[in-house]
Amino acid sequence: MTPANDVLALEIDHLTVSYRDRPVLWDVDAHFPAGALSAIVGPNGSGKSTLLKAALGLVPADAGRVAILGGSSGSARSKVAYVPQRDAVDWDFPVTVREVVEMGRYRSVGWFRRVGRSQRAIVDDCLERVGMAPFAGRQIGQLSGGQRQRVFIARALAQQTELLVLDEPFAGVDARTEHAILGLLGELRDHGRSIVIVHHDLGTVRSTFDWVLVLNVRTVACGPIAETLTPENLRRAYGSDAVVAEEPEPAPWG
Amino acid sequence: MGVIAEQLSATFPLTYSEAIVAMGAAILGIAAGMLGALAVLQGRSLVGDALAHSALPGVAVAFIVTGAKDPASLLAGAILAGIVGAFMIVGIERTSRIRPDAAIGVVLSSFFALGIVLLTYISNTGGAQQAGLDTYLFGQAAGIVERDVEIMAVMAGGAALVVVAFFRIFKTVLFDRSFASSLGVPVKIVELATTALLVVAIVIGLRTVGAILMVAMLITPTVVARQFTNRLVWLLPVAALVGATVGITGALASSQAEVPTGPVIVLVGVSLAVLAILFAPGRGVAWRAATLARARRRENTSGVLVALETAMHHGAPPTPRELALASGRSARSVRRGLRDLSRAGLVQRDEGRVILNERGAAAAHAALESRRLWSAWLEHGWRLDLPDAREADPRDLRASLGDDAVDQLVVLEREATA
Repeated sequence: MTPANDVLALEIDHLTVSYRDRPVLWDVDAHFPAGALSAIVGPNGSGKSTLLKAALGLVPADAGRVAILGGSSGSARSKVAYVPQRDAVDWDFPVTVREVVEMGRYRSVGWFRRVGRSQRAIVDDCLERVGMAPFAGRQIGQLSGGQRQRVFIARALAQQTELLVLDEPFAGVDARTEHAILGLLGELRDHGRSIVIVHHDLGTVRSTFDWVLVLNVRTVACGPIAETLTPENLRRAYGSDAVVAEEPEPAPWG
Repeated sequence: MGVIAEQLSATFPLTYSEAIVAMGAAILGIAAGMLGALAVLQGRSLVGDALAHSALPGVAVAFIVTGAKDPASLLAGAILAGIVGAFMIVGIERTSRIRPDAAIGVVLSSFFALGIVLLTYISNTGGAQQAGLDTYLFGQAAGIVERDVEIMAVMAGGAALVVVAFFRIFKTVLFDRSFASSLGVPVKIVELATTALLVVAIVIGLRTVGAILMVAMLITPTVVARQFTNRLVWLLPVAALVGATVGITGALASSQAEVPTGPVIVLVGVSLAVLAILFAPGRGVAWRAATLARARRRENTSGVLVALETAMHHGAPPTPRELALASGRSARSVRRGLRDLSRAGLVQRDEGRVILNERGAAAAHAALESRRLWSAWLEHGWRLDLPDAREADPRDLRASLGDDAVDQLVVLEREATA
């Protein structure tokens, strides 16, 4: 792992969130170092997605403070690229792959100015990096699940932010795409970017990630993989039935 | 406006008043097509229906208050009532456990009922001058005058300007709400704006199309346009064009036949939509059915070819009946396959028996090879390096993966079997 800088990528302090009268997160404290690949794991309904949304200010929090790269969440928003869950959008919507990735440039370009040649070059480059360049003109509905996820990743790359936040990017995605995206995220990390992913596959977390938050409505544990992803912590998060292999699983695409 | 109408009536075989009607209908079609698209793409088409019905009591109340049939004040009443209806839908959805479709239904029916009661009250108490408010139910194009067209044009122009100016914001919010929100877009305000624009479109069309059927004018242009384009930048102008066409055709036809305009416009629009749904290239039902039928036929033919090759390998050339028995295919499927094969010049008949010729044998080997490649892909594919996000297609592995990848695959397979 790259040594953590003084500034944290994401710092969450006493975050409490509820939907109507149902509590989703209680007093969550967590921090994610800059320049690291971090995962948020936990059972279904443990509030993983909500944690991300609340941290980005997309859902209101009842209490708590969030700092993104040292700044408060309002002003620091421009430093984060957010990849929502894929099922949150209508894939029959009339846009092409290229247009979706171009949306990643809107904040820099502005909502009213033309997308110039240099901007289009950035979009091209992002399409290239996720292997979607040959599909740039396709309507998004004609893509497979893995390809759709690549488009979302390309859009986040196009935002050129310090911090990338991804919500379940590998749900329903083929192994090749997962491998390609993990490789890409690793590269970004090596170039000093910070990445936080909601993820469910503990095997890949152990083998590829640097840092993990184990969540179950409260923080169960938060820290480097080796010290944090212990059977004891996983039992506290997932219950005693969850027998989790301690030895790292071989990467399926190694 | 008058100048344009005069020009139109000079160019086309239209009277001056028909030209005015045509202009009004075109403007309403453009507005309904373009602004309706924003609602349809959000999956909120029925909100348009509810808002159109909500506008009716607004018209009635405006008439009762002002005591005159001034188009501007009636439209203002319609706008206000539409906005109240919109807030009620959203309010019911947010505060109660009633689902959106039920909320829409409640608002639609209650506003419409109120509108009918008020209209009846007006026609019972008023004199001859009041007669005619009921055109707001089914619509009437014939009564459009220059002043109506002016008001419609100003409202439609303003709405179009808003859509063009904020196009990127609308596109981003409509496609991916939470992403837009993460960019700092005030998503709720944008969604309110799309509802407000919808009200504008409804109010523009209310008198011509009528409250009951206005929803069709909002939806059908988008349905047609979506069949022909995959991009929002094109969908909006195409929907506007379709709306204008439907509007003009319906309005002129209805004033000629002296039928209410709404039903005629709707029938014209729905006819276009049905044609587009059936026959649009690429997305049309007929197109997709034809593509599927061709693909299945190709698969059948290739299956019969492989079965024939296997049979020839094991003994004498079979009869079609023997071939059907041996391959577990129906006699019909074998007959069809053989017909295609002999058309392609791959088989010959000899006293009721089928013989694979040299080209046929080559084709059969190619088919078998591509089946083997697919198995090899499933077995070894994960070890292949693909240059991009291309994905394997069992129908044509070489075309979908590229020559390089297939060559790699062949090598991997050979290593595995060696």
